[in-house]
Amino acid sequence: MFCIVSFIVLSILGIFSASNRSLAKEALDCVLRRVTFRPCTTGFDEKMKAKILGVVIMRSETLARLLNKYFEALAWAFFTLLLASSIIFARGLYLFYVTGSCNGLNQAAFCVFDPSGANNQVSTFAGCLNGEGDISKLTLEGVNLSDFPTLQPESAYRVVLIGCYTCDYTRKVYDSVLTLVRRYHTQLVFLHYPVNEKNDFLSRLGYCAYQQNPEGYWRLNEELIHSDKAMLSELTNGPSLLSTLKPETNRFLEALVSEAGLDAGRVLTCANDPATEAAVQRQMNEIVKTNFYGTPTLFIGDQVFVGPKPYRVYAIALKGLFFWLRS
Amino acid sequence: MNVEKIRQDFPALDSKRTRKAIVYFDTACQSLRPQVVIDAVNRYYLQEPACSGRSMHQWAAAVTREVDRARELMAKFLNASRAQEIIFTRNTTEGINLVANAFPFRAGDVVLVSDKEHNSNLIPWQMQVKQRGIELKIIPTCPDNTFDMDAFEALLDKRVKLVALGFTSNLDGVTIPAGEIIRKAHRVGAHVLLDAAQTAPHHPINVRALDVDFLALSGHKMLGPSGTGVLYGKYALLESLSPFLVGGDTVANSTYANCEFLPPPEKFEAGLQDYAGIIGLGAAVEYLQHIGFDTIRKQEALITYALSEQLKDISGLKIIGPADPALRGGVTTFYIEGVDSHRVALMLDQMANVLVRSGQHCVHSWFNARQIKGSVRASAYFYNTIEEANILAECLRKIRKVL
Repeated sequence: MFCIVSFIVLSILGIFSASNRSLAKEALDCVLRRVTFRPCTTGFDEKMKAKILGVVIMRSETLARLLNKYFEALAWAFFTLLLASSIIFARGLYLFYVTGSCNGLNQAAFCVFDPSGANNQVSTFAGCLNGEGDISKLTLEGVNLSDFPTLQPESAYRVVLIGCYTCDYTRKVYDSVLTLVRRYHTQLVFLHYPVNEKNDFLSRLGYCAYQQNPEGYWRLNEELIHSDKAMLSELTNGPSLLSTLKPETNRFLEALVSEAGLDAGRVLTCANDPATEAAVQRQMNEIVKTNFYGTPTLFIGDQVFVGPKPYRVYAIALKGLFFWLRS
Repeated sequence: MNVEKIRQDFPALDSKRTRKAIVYFDTACQSLRPQVVIDAVNRYYLQEPACSGRSMHQWAAAVTREVDRARELMAKFLNASRAQEIIFTRNTTEGINLVANAFPFRAGDVVLVSDKEHNSNLIPWQMQVKQRGIELKIIPTCPDNTFDMDAFEALLDKRVKLVALGFTSNLDGVTIPAGEIIRKAHRVGAHVLLDAAQTAPHHPINVRALDVDFLALSGHKMLGPSGTGVLYGKYALLESLSPFLVGGDTVANSTYANCEFLPPPEKFEAGLQDYAGIIGLGAAVEYLQHIGFDTIRKQEALITYALSEQLKDISGLKIIGPADPALRGGVTTFYIEGVDSHRVALMLDQMANVLVRSGQHCVHSWFNARQIKGSVRASAYFYNTIEEANILAECLRKIRKVL
């Protein structure tokens, strides 16, 4: 048993040291003999035992005596611990690969591969919503998505993203989601919720853009996601009436809309229309029904991803573990 | 004798340089080298790295002079009649193999060896049994591992052509009464070969006084560089032997069909030699003579006595060889019943950097005959101290408590 433990440990240490590599080789020979029910004639276990005892004996003779007496039992204990920790490590590695966290999907506990927990952070909002913070209550059931902007509506499979233009984590994940839906030709329904915004102006802007030209809307979406947050805050942190905006903010907004291939005048007029406000409010009510508590929240099939996960996590949810083999 | 001053001559013992205080008790395997030997070897490579006895240029001439000087020094060291009786080899093993293969044995000739010979003085004869049909007879030793003269005489007869014995045993440090053995062997017309690998570093050897026919030794056990050795042979005998290894530098002339061998020692030194090693061996001989064998034996005796006295009190520990430490030179070989000798050696290394030899010390036949799995051998030299012996004994006391 000692050979097996030593082989594993020395193999890892052998990456950094040539002397450990040769010991690992000896341990392997010993392991191969043991698994084929032959005695370990290399003397490896004796050698290592003597080396360990030689170090321990100088510190405590009692401990050395115990170690000598229960060496095999201790080797078994270490092997069991090694096996258990290896399984836990492998599970953590797998979960990190599949969900972005060693602890499983949307689990914010410490993960050595994501020590800052970046994959689980969300932009939260000040007000309270039903089911705030409860992942189990996140749902699309009973939510009417038909009024929300949909990319590639002809596709059978649907991905729903709740995000916000000024939220850092939505901005971090948006391009990944867009790449994903385009590569695998999937519907994307984008639900904009102004989490950190004092007014719903950008929701209305998006609503109007989509009404005017769906393709232009997606272009505007990308521009909003990538535009300067400080400029956007001029639009979202004050009264939403265009007349109150500074001239340079107004020009920035017009340019943004125009560059998306939309009629800026019509879109901005529409955004200030009370009818639009009512429609957007209906949309907000629908979004609230999902019980989301922060952005980004992404629905892929029956899985919900809260926080900015790596691209592979979304791809695995959509296409399975070997997503990179599929077009 | 100022051991501390002597230790300064050995760079390997400089704990400031090596960053750990090594306790070296493995001299029977290979001794440490003084700085003068290292310098001599370096000088060859740095100043005159050329062939000896072949080329005519200045470097070759200088190396030839140095090699000749080393041969002279070794001849004087052994009190040989002439420098040509000194053949440089790689080690004692090669010297013994040379005699075994070159000696004019006939089928039925008898070779006598003792029952505690190093493999180097056993296997070559076993090969001759198979190849030339000689008979190999084993002289049993006394229960305390000293030489049994009666048993030896009982085996001596006209059929015995060679008596090949370890002069000093690497197993227990016991030195045989070589002079008496040689006299008795000569009386029946047998020649004598002594394996002096463990003798040359510790005792003065006078080959003429001994009247020994062949004597082999290793340079690396007597402060010389690794892979150096000497075979001494009486000149007339060497002349009569056919060469063992042949080739470059062994012949004066050759045709496609034949060759004319050079006289000894050249005809036995085939191919390019280890000139750096030979020059270093010369320096080692000078250093040994400078220290003096009285000093060496005195210090070894002190250490062996101190060690033996302390080991006596460790339960289950058995010393191989005579109880009297004075008969064991610098060697203290022991085993602890039920404890693997390699484990003890490794623990000593880990515990206090005590370097000893473990196992059967190339004397498997002796251990197998007595069903002893192995032993630990602590072999001291004049650079060892009583303090080091105390460290070893203290470590062994601890090990005994634990194992």
